[in-house]
Amino acid sequence: MNTFTRLIGTAAIALTLGSGAAKAADLSFMSFTYAEEANKAIVQGVLDNFQKAEKLTVEPLGFAWGDMQKNIFLRARSKTLPDIAQLSERWLPTFASLDNLVDLNTVYGKDKLEAAFAPDALAMGNINGKQLALPLLSGSIGMVANKEVLTKAGINDAPKSVDDFRKALVAVRDKVPNSVPYSMATKNNGSILIDFMVWNWVHGGRIIDDAGKVVVDSKQSRDALTFMVGLMKDRLAAPEIDRPDSRRLLAQGASAFYLDAPQTRTFLRDFSGKGQAFDANVLPMPTPVLKASDKPVSVQWGHLLVQFASGGKAKADDPADKFLTYIISDKVQTDLPLKMSALPVTKSARAAVADDAYLKNWSAATGDARRNEVGIWSNAADLTNIIGEEVQGALLGQKSADDAIKSMQARLTTSMEKAKKSE
Amino acid sequence: MAVIENNVGAYPVSPHANRGGLKAGQNRIGLLLLLPAATGFCAIILYPFLSALGLSLFEYTVEMMEPRFIGLENFAKIAADPDVWAAFWTTAIYVVLSTTGTLIAGLGWALIMNQPFAGRGVLRSLSLLPWVLPATVSAFIWGWIFNSRYGVLNAFLMELGLIDYPQAWLSTPEGAMLAVVLTKVWLSIPLFMSFFLAGLQNLDKEQIDAARVDGAGNWAVLRDHILPHLRPVLMIVVVLGVIGNLQQFDTIYALTGGGPVRATTVLSVEVYRRAFEQWDIGFASAVGVLWVAALLPPAFLYLRMLVKGN
Repeated sequence: MNTFTRLIGTAAIALTLGSGAAKAADLSFMSFTYAEEANKAIVQGVLDNFQKAEKLTVEPLGFAWGDMQKNIFLRARSKTLPDIAQLSERWLPTFASLDNLVDLNTVYGKDKLEAAFAPDALAMGNINGKQLALPLLSGSIGMVANKEVLTKAGINDAPKSVDDFRKALVAVRDKVPNSVPYSMATKNNGSILIDFMVWNWVHGGRIIDDAGKVVVDSKQSRDALTFMVGLMKDRLAAPEIDRPDSRRLLAQGASAFYLDAPQTRTFLRDFSGKGQAFDANVLPMPTPVLKASDKPVSVQWGHLLVQFASGGKAKADDPADKFLTYIISDKVQTDLPLKMSALPVTKSARAAVADDAYLKNWSAATGDARRNEVGIWSNAADLTNIIGEEVQGALLGQKSADDAIKSMQARLTTSMEKAKKSE
Repeated sequence: MAVIENNVGAYPVSPHANRGGLKAGQNRIGLLLLLPAATGFCAIILYPFLSALGLSLFEYTVEMMEPRFIGLENFAKIAADPDVWAAFWTTAIYVVLSTTGTLIAGLGWALIMNQPFAGRGVLRSLSLLPWVLPATVSAFIWGWIFNSRYGVLNAFLMELGLIDYPQAWLSTPEGAMLAVVLTKVWLSIPLFMSFFLAGLQNLDKEQIDAARVDGAGNWAVLRDHILPHLRPVLMIVVVLGVIGNLQQFDTIYALTGGGPVRATTVLSVEVYRRAFEQWDIGFASAVGVLWVAALLPPAFLYLRMLVKGN
């Protein structure tokens, strides 16, 4: 046998072994929850149970929340997309044009999906009539307080108005040393967007109207940003804070308020090191309002599951679709969302967990959530960057609130020229 | 001479020998040895670069499954984009500060390490620590030092009573730039120090002793003897430093993410943001091509020095 033949033989063996390894699992599942220390065991439990039930194996691919979009994007370009991927609801419009994305109406039937899912949850995965994702869990982004910190600051009731909220922050700053009274997001553009959007709504402003016209250059938006800048100036909020920092600060009793989804409870249990004993401190509260007659605002939130298949074609008995079917079954939906402190997405599961006190309180506190007015556009990533940069510029004193709003209006208008809306 | 040639011609020639002889055989071996490195270079550097060069002429965003040819439109957009020009300016500031800082600190440390004192060997070895640590780990260490809430720097300054409450060093443009420059300087000192130390060990001690006998002070010795002796090393170190700092991405991204706002967005971060935050691969490729163009002059200088044996 000469050297060349040996080389060919070795390569053939390596290829065979390689392809064997690649096909070791029946389907691949890319998930950011799987990459979260607090939630990994919960997801692994679901995967193990699915394997027992269906005799199909799942290869979990965990990526940090902040890296998910990049990984899906790169895998789409290199044609190595996973079978199933978990998305934040606001990312779906960005990926809606990928041609391997399966319209799940064609797999399960529109009527069946409408019969099974709560309408608000199903709508998160629907773009222009196509069901490009199934909801995994849902809820809203609203305000959370740490009761223990409020007590230390001598505050008995959660503040209802913006004025009371400010007074409460001052009390926390003065009575709880080294605290960040409101851990407002000031570092990551994706998180800054949520805080600005909420305060903008509280002040009666909008960023982009339903027709796609940028309307942020308004008195209301200026007031909102000026309010946020004021919090920074008075050390009621702090720089270098992202959502994970907020969670840790609240869990460690170093912050009184921040904005998050209901799953905050699971993070706070983990980060406080106290587990369920910390639940007593977690207070979901209505976002403060400008006038007593205003309705508290919150942002629609959820996790979605998308399926990728060659040509966007799939059948209900494909391994990936069996996995989706399993995930939305009552067995999983009455367990997984609760463990992650979120609302289930199917009608039957919601009925089954209707008595859960935490979720009930959360829903009562946050009220009707509004759809993320930036996340519905195909250029959401660009819009998020622009808003984040301008708001951060104002918060850190690099420009006035007025200049930031004017610049935001101009940059968003340019970005919206080619944008497509998902409805 | 003719006799020798005749004798050589009398020896039998192997049937496997070819016309090229020993020289050609050496060339073939040389090419064979070059093959792994050349293959790696083509796969990891040349192909992606050519691919980026091609993509810079296309519109290719996340909404498009196939790129669309638009000629030089991306470059025209860059010309009109103040953010990209700001990234060029930020890169220039970063490269000048990092290279100058490392040069001064590296030379200073090498001069100290060249003096005889107890424990010099241990200190020399410890000096290599920043080089051994992965750059991202170093960036996180410095991130903690500068952290506004838990940072060592704030704790130290508050202990001394110099500040009343923690400062957000990474949230001002100047503070963030200073942090990324300091981190890079700290990372690069071992490399620069090694170059300078090697140069200093070739310095004729008798020359220095003679200068001292003639009354030269420390500054005069450094200016008139050490620096002229280190000139070739200085040239190489400056060029390598400029190239390395122009390419810098990991420490900056890990430490500040290019912020606050865009204060530390150098060209490498700009390319990353355009590609993976705004999903505009065509535009990012065009910025990348200009970034490579910025790297070419120092790279050319370096190669010229190598070829000339300087």
